[in-house]
Amino acid sequence: MAEPGHGTNSNIGDKIIEHVANSDVMIHLELFGVDISITKHVVMLWIAAGFLVAIALYATRRYRKEERPVPSGFTNAFEYVVDFVRTGILIPTMGKNHVLRWGPLVMSFFFLILTMNFLGLMPFFNYINHGHGGTTATGNINVTAALALITFMAIIVAGILEHGFFKHWKNLVPGGLAWPVYIILIPIEILSMFVRPFALTMRLAANMTAGHIAMLAIFAPIFLLHNAYVGVASVALNVGITFLEIIVSIVQAYVFTLLSSVFIGQSIHPHH
Amino acid sequence: MENLLRFDTGLMIWTWITFIAVLVILGTKAWKPMIKALENRENFIRESLEEAEAARKEAEKVAGEYEAMVAKARQEAQNIVAAGKETAERMKADILNEAKDKSAGILKQAEVQIGAEREKAIAQIRNQIVDISMAAAEKIIAKSLSREDNERLIEDALKDYGKN
Repeated sequence: MAEPGHGTNSNIGDKIIEHVANSDVMIHLELFGVDISITKHVVMLWIAAGFLVAIALYATRRYRKEERPVPSGFTNAFEYVVDFVRTGILIPTMGKNHVLRWGPLVMSFFFLILTMNFLGLMPFFNYINHGHGGTTATGNINVTAALALITFMAIIVAGILEHGFFKHWKNLVPGGLAWPVYIILIPIEILSMFVRPFALTMRLAANMTAGHIAMLAIFAPIFLLHNAYVGVASVALNVGITFLEIIVSIVQAYVFTLLSSVFIGQSIHPHH
Repeated sequence: MENLLRFDTGLMIWTWITFIAVLVILGTKAWKPMIKALENRENFIRESLEEAEAARKEAEKVAGEYEAMVAKARQEAQNIVAAGKETAERMKADILNEAKDKSAGILKQAEVQIGAEREKAIAQIRNQIVDISMAAAEKIIAKSLSREDNERLIEDALKDYGKN
């Protein structure tokens, strides 16, 4: 959060951007000349991953032991979400036979993104590195780009595994069309191959950042006007925005996962 | 805005490492066992439903067969009773007929016997009459004729009597 007194009329916008863009370096690391410093977002990524692994392993402990486990309590709730991903995303987009191969990737996408989105809603991450604010890791374009590149690779791998190397690239364009059509179609399909992960990257990062910017913008009048009544209104409004952000967190995790699954499914079952 | 789109290779590499770690750990320990368990359960439920349906159909079939069997048994029982009745009727008629025949035979035999007895009685009476007549004639005539004469006389008399 922006500290009172620091905000002035001229730099409030910069302050907001600084807050959401913040990924301060905590430990400086370098490997073969590449900067792999541990930043605030790396730590958030690890916290999210560690938390997810812990609860997922806890929830699925019975599934590793029993042939036909009967879930109850937390396991039941967790299984409901897993089954939602399975029957709501995986089966409709790629068919039942490919669920076991691509399910783990798609489920990891969904749960990791969801966990990061939710953790981003909790303001205590502000204090990982002495304040200075910070959004969730999924609000950082580098994180979403890395995830989208995994989708990009998965699309290609899925196509090659299913149809072989050359057939996969041939599947990108529909066959049996007049040759002038291909002059237009081939560049479009190649472009769309790169546009898809780019859209995934921007959609998730922008949505996760936008909520934080909106909340900060609603808080800004408190520091601009120094008025208690404005504070009440801002807090009330931001409570509402927080609820909205909970929905956005779920929806964006769902959208990223669904589109990844749809693209992988299209690669497995080319519609042309 | 430059800040928001800052390229950060390190963060991307850490994202890959973290994601792949999550994928490997949860893929083998959580997602796959869970997907398998869900598929197993789905199959189990579907199979159970199919089995239940098959069992229901089997039960219906067996019930139908049982009903048919009961109906058949009832029909057979009725047939047996009817046949028994018929046999009894026939036997009754036979017995009656036989009895009638037998009684008719007995009656006829009795008649014949009676007829013979009567003939015999008549002959006896005739002899006795001869004896009595002889005794009486002896007494009346007081003189005994030879038996042969007497007999001849009586015979003649009886013949005359028979003619008259």
